[in-house]
Formats: sequence, structure tokens, C-alpha cells
Amino acid sequence: MDVTDSNQMEQPSAPQTNSTRTVAVEFSGKGGEFFGIWIVNVLLSIVTLGIYSAWAKVRTNQYFYGNTVIDGHRFAYLATPMQILKGRLLAVALFACYTLVTGLFPIAGMAFVLVMVFLFPWLINQGLRFNLRMSSYRNVRFSFAGTYGEAFMCFIVLPFVGAITLYLAMPWVLSKIDEYIYSNVRYGDKQLKVDIKTGEYYITALIVVALSFVGFGLLAIVMGTMVAGSGALSGEAMILEDFFNGAGLFIVVGYIVLGSLISALYKARIRNHILNNSEFEQLTKFKSNVEVMPFAMLILTNLLAVLFSFGLAFPWTAIRQARFMADATQLEMDANAAAVIDTMEEQKASFGEEAAEIFDVDVSLG
Amino acid sequence: MSRLIEGTYYFPKSSQAVDAQLHVNGDMVSLHYQGQCRNSYHLASLTQHITIAGVPMEVGFADGAKFSAQDPLVRLSSPRNSLESFEQNKSLIIASVVLVPALLWFVMMVLMPRLAQSSVAYLPDIVSQQMGKQAFEIIKRTMLEPSVTEEAQQQQLKRQWQDTLIALDLSPEKYTLHVYGSEFFGPNAFALPDGTVVITDDLITQLDDNSDAALAVLLHEIGHVEHQHSLSMVAQSVSSAVAFAMIFGDIEGIGEILLGTGSTLIQSKFSRNMEREADDYALAKLEQLGKSGDAFAQAMQSFLDLKGKHGDSQLLKYLASHPDTQERIDKAKNYRVKVKQ
Repeated sequence: MDVTDSNQMEQPSAPQTNSTRTVAVEFSGKGGEFFGIWIVNVLLSIVTLGIYSAWAKVRTNQYFYGNTVIDGHRFAYLATPMQILKGRLLAVALFACYTLVTGLFPIAGMAFVLVMVFLFPWLINQGLRFNLRMSSYRNVRFSFAGTYGEAFMCFIVLPFVGAITLYLAMPWVLSKIDEYIYSNVRYGDKQLKVDIKTGEYYITALIVVALSFVGFGLLAIVMGTMVAGSGALSGEAMILEDFFNGAGLFIVVGYIVLGSLISALYKARIRNHILNNSEFEQLTKFKSNVEVMPFAMLILTNLLAVLFSFGLAFPWTAIRQARFMADATQLEMDANAAAVIDTMEEQKASFGEEAAEIFDVDVSLG
Repeated sequence: MSRLIEGTYYFPKSSQAVDAQLHVNGDMVSLHYQGQCRNSYHLASLTQHITIAGVPMEVGFADGAKFSAQDPLVRLSSPRNSLESFEQNKSLIIASVVLVPALLWFVMMVLMPRLAQSSVAYLPDIVSQQMGKQAFEIIKRTMLEPSVTEEAQQQQLKRQWQDTLIALDLSPEKYTLHVYGSEFFGPNAFALPDGTVVITDDLITQLDDNSDAALAVLLHEIGHVEHQHSLSMVAQSVSSAVAFAMIFGDIEGIGEILLGTGSTLIQSKFSRNMEREADDYALAKLEQLGKSGDAFAQAMQSFLDLKGKHGDSQLLKYLASHPDTQERIDKAKNYRVKVKQ
């Protein structure tokens, strides 16, 4: 077959340097369009007592993947609703058992927790594996090659080490976790090569800690003057309601703003670091330039929009977030992007992934 | 009549791609690229993936190859009443904006609590026994200290308790009274689902001169046990968590926000109702013992007095989890009047 890659985006529209060219990630989802999809899916999920939520999940993912375009090719989400439904039913049953046992029998519950400790690494692996295998680009699937032993090390043993060193080793632990996740990503027969530097995690952690001290310190000082000024401390009748109406509101707002900033700072720096040091050899390198302040504004405004719309702004915030991330990402592609071989076998159920989500141990890729 | 669909053809098992066209002619579809007809297929042998607004369709071939259309509006076949048309139906979207919050409220505030409460009655006794036993072990180790109340006073309290239980036809084996000191609970009393009743030193001191008031507080706690309130709470939180997981399983953010605020609201409403039930139980039993509801009112009043005197946050622990104290006092004082009518 004398097939050449003659895609429309391949013409000299992008600047060429030797055999690589810089390609943008485009996201074409629209808030209004996704709102209709989302709200109708939520309605159907409620009236079918949750059964339809499997279809809702597939359609939501198809919308986001299908609207993510690199080099003129769209991503695709391949899972079927039945896979999701089976996995979700199993996961919900396990979750119900877990909450019932820990709620009713606290001591027996501890034994259950111990079982869960050994189950978690497996769940995380299964979740990553399923999600990646169900993702494809140019008809080639992604996959995940991590093993149980490595996952147990990263998600159980190392965090324990981090805790007993009074969190001094925590940045190192986090870098190891990210290294495990990203270096085990495969695209067809290509392995993602990552060069994660622990130093970057320590610098980021230091900035986060410093910012927290200064920020929360300032907040406490302002609070103190406000409380003293209102004379609330002068008498014994410091009424709780007054506290929450005045200074308390200030605290909550300050906390949310500071929280958004800190979360943006960490996520932006780490994402940039990981992607800027990742590559599929002879295929593509990544570039990420998420800026902290715009990202913090995005997190903050998204949070406020969801809160004040009682959740109805969720679709709009999801689209904004996806567009922001896409805009901050570029690829440096080699000429031979057409030479990747798909090596995937079929994957049946999504139990691990569903359980990982429901137990909130879901690990998502930036 | 034939249709031409522009798009990209992806070869099986590789990332090779080529600009291509599908010619749709009745039941037959032919694939063209690089100016030649490459193959033709029966419409039924092709699968149309991804029919969702704004996303171009994908056609899957039996050999694993794929065709992705260029125009997001084009569909190979568009059956009526497809999910896609539901999701774009303006009136359905507007109806959903109204129906979703209403139904969600109904499921979380009405359906799930009822389901939980009625299912609790079918649980075997062993469940509440084990639950109480294990909870007591943990509470004892983490939040209770040995009592400093004099032995004689403790004995008297326990004797009085035994007499009360017998008078009320309640099992003295089930409702065992324990006295503990506790910095954590402050002046407080609680009962566990298996009937273990604990009163703290601070509460004994606080109601020292009024044994009927202490009794009223203990009867209130027994009311919780008789009505299986702890079990209902667990059943309630599990069922609403499961309902949320089923409906919002994958929707991050919104699920967490609603789960965070929603479930605490439900829980506090649930617990206020429970407190009222327990109050009613205590008042009815005081009546049965030939004692006045005033004893209950006095106990409540002493909490209020203490709060006024010290403004101590420890005391708020009792008040915070209970309904408006003045309301409870008034209710207790009026109880006799109501019963007589």
C-alpha cells in the first residue's frame, strides 16, 4: 500500500524546523451545546435511578474527546455504556458494603479498611488502564503498563514514608507517583519517556508553603483587627451568629481565594514540568505553558459559578477548563506520526475505573 | 440518489490516515481515496460511533479501520428519537432545568430517607448490638476518662436508674448506665444503639440538685435507642451516598459540592427530627412515671444558664446538635396541658 499521510493540516501551514513542527491543541466544545447534553443526561440518569448514568458518562467523554483536535485529528472515547454500567454497579455495591460495614461495625470496619489498602493500588492501575485503553487518537489506542508492585510502592508505602518524615519527603513521594503514572503511558507501541526532576517538586512545595504562611497569616491579622474592632471579644457574649455574619464571611472568601491560588500554583508548575519533559520518541514532544494567575482566576470563577448557580453552571465551567488547558498545550511533532502501530487487545469491564472514581482514588492525567 | 461524505480514513491497527470520501447510495457505501474507489460495504456492516452534537460522526469498519467525517452535522443514518435529538430538544432542556432540581430534592430528601428508615426495621438485633459494642470500645479509648464522681453517688444514680427501667417496663440488662469523665463531651449524656447509656461527670455535677432533670436527659437518650435513630442515620447516609454515586458517579466538582453541603443539610434536618422524637419519648415516659415535664425543662434551662455564664464552647457541643433549647423548654412545660386535653 503506497499510502502517504496526506492530511489537510500537513501542508506548510505550521512552521517547519527540520523534520519537526509545532502543533496546537484545539478544543472546539461549546458551553451552550454541552449544557443541553449534560442537563438532559442528568434528567435521564435520575429518572432511570442511575442506570442511564453509564450512557451519560460515555456521551460526555465522547463530547470532550471528540472536540479535542491535534493536527486535524480528533481524539475518540471508545468505551461502551454497558462496560461502564457493569463496572459502576459492582463499584457501587462495594462502596455500599464499605460504608455500611464502617458505619455499623467500626472495629470490623478497620479490617475492611485494611483490605481496601491492598485493593487501592489495583483499583488505581485498573482505572488508568481502562481510561487509557478507551482513548484513541488516529485510530491508535493508549494504554498503561504499570504493575501492582510499583503501584503499591507509590500509593501505599511512599505516602507512609512521607508522613513519618513529617512530610519532608512528601515532594519526593509526589514526584515518584507522577513518574510512575506518566512513564507507564503507552501510545500504541510507543512508550512515554519522562524526565521528572524531584527538585522542581521541592521548589514548588516551598513556594506553596511560603504562600500559605503569608496568606493565612495576613488573613488571621485582618480577622483579628476586625473582631477586636467590632468589640466582640470585649464581653463574654461573643455570639456565634455575629461572628459568622461579619468576619466569618471574610474568612471564607479569603480561604477560597487563597485556596484557588495555591491549587493553581501547584498544578500549573507541576503540569508544565511534566509535559515539558515528556516525549514519545520519534513521534512528539510536549509543551505546556499554564500561567498561574489566569489559572487561579479560572479555578476561582469556576468554583463561584458552580456554587451560585446551584450546579447549573457546571457544563460551562467544564468547557472553559478544557479550552484553557488546550490553549496552554502544544506539541512538537515529528514527520512520521503515521508510523505508530496499535497493539491493543480488547478490555471488557470497567470495574476498576468505576471503583477508583467512586472511592475518590481516581488519578487523572493532566 | 447518492450522498458524498468528506472525511479522513484511518487504516486498521496503525496511525496511518488519508483524506477520503464515502459515497452513500441506498444500502451501499463505497470508500474512495486518492481518486479511486477502494472498497464497498453494506450499510448494515458498518457501525456509526459517536453521534453527539458538535462532534463529527465516526464510522467503524469490520476490520478495525475507521472513517471520521469532516462536517460535524453529517450522519450516516439518523434514526428518529435518537439520544442526539433529545439532547438538542429545546423544550426538553428547559423542562430538565426545572425537573432536575425538583427530582433531586425528592430523591434525596424524601425517597432515600423513607427507604432508609423503613429498611432499618428489618435489620436483625445483632446489627445494633455489634454497632453499639464496637462504637463504645472506640469512644471509651478516645474520648472518655475514668469517672471522678464519688462511688456512693454513682451507685445511687445506678440504683435509681434500675428502678426507673423496671417502672417503665424497659430491660435493665439492655440499658446499662455508665459514668465517665470526658473533656471532649463536657456535660453530656448519650446512648449507643445496643442500649449502653453514658452520663458524664460534668452533667452529674451540673444537675446535682435535681435528679429528675438528670433522668429526663437519660430518657431522651433512650428515646434515640428505642426509635433506632443511629441505625437510621447510617442507613440514610449510605443510601444517599449510593444514590449520588449512581447519578453523578463521574461528574466531578458538582457531585462533591452537592454531596458536601447537601448531605450535611439532610443529616442535620434528620437529626432535628430525631431530637424531637426523643424529646417526645422522654416527656411521655416522665408522664408515665408520674413526674412533670418541668424536670426536662429544668435540665434544658441549666444548659442555657451555663452557656450564659461561661460562654464556654464545650457547652455548645450539646446545644449545637439539638434543636432550639427555648423551644424545647416551652414544649416540656406545656406537655402536661396538651396531654390533659
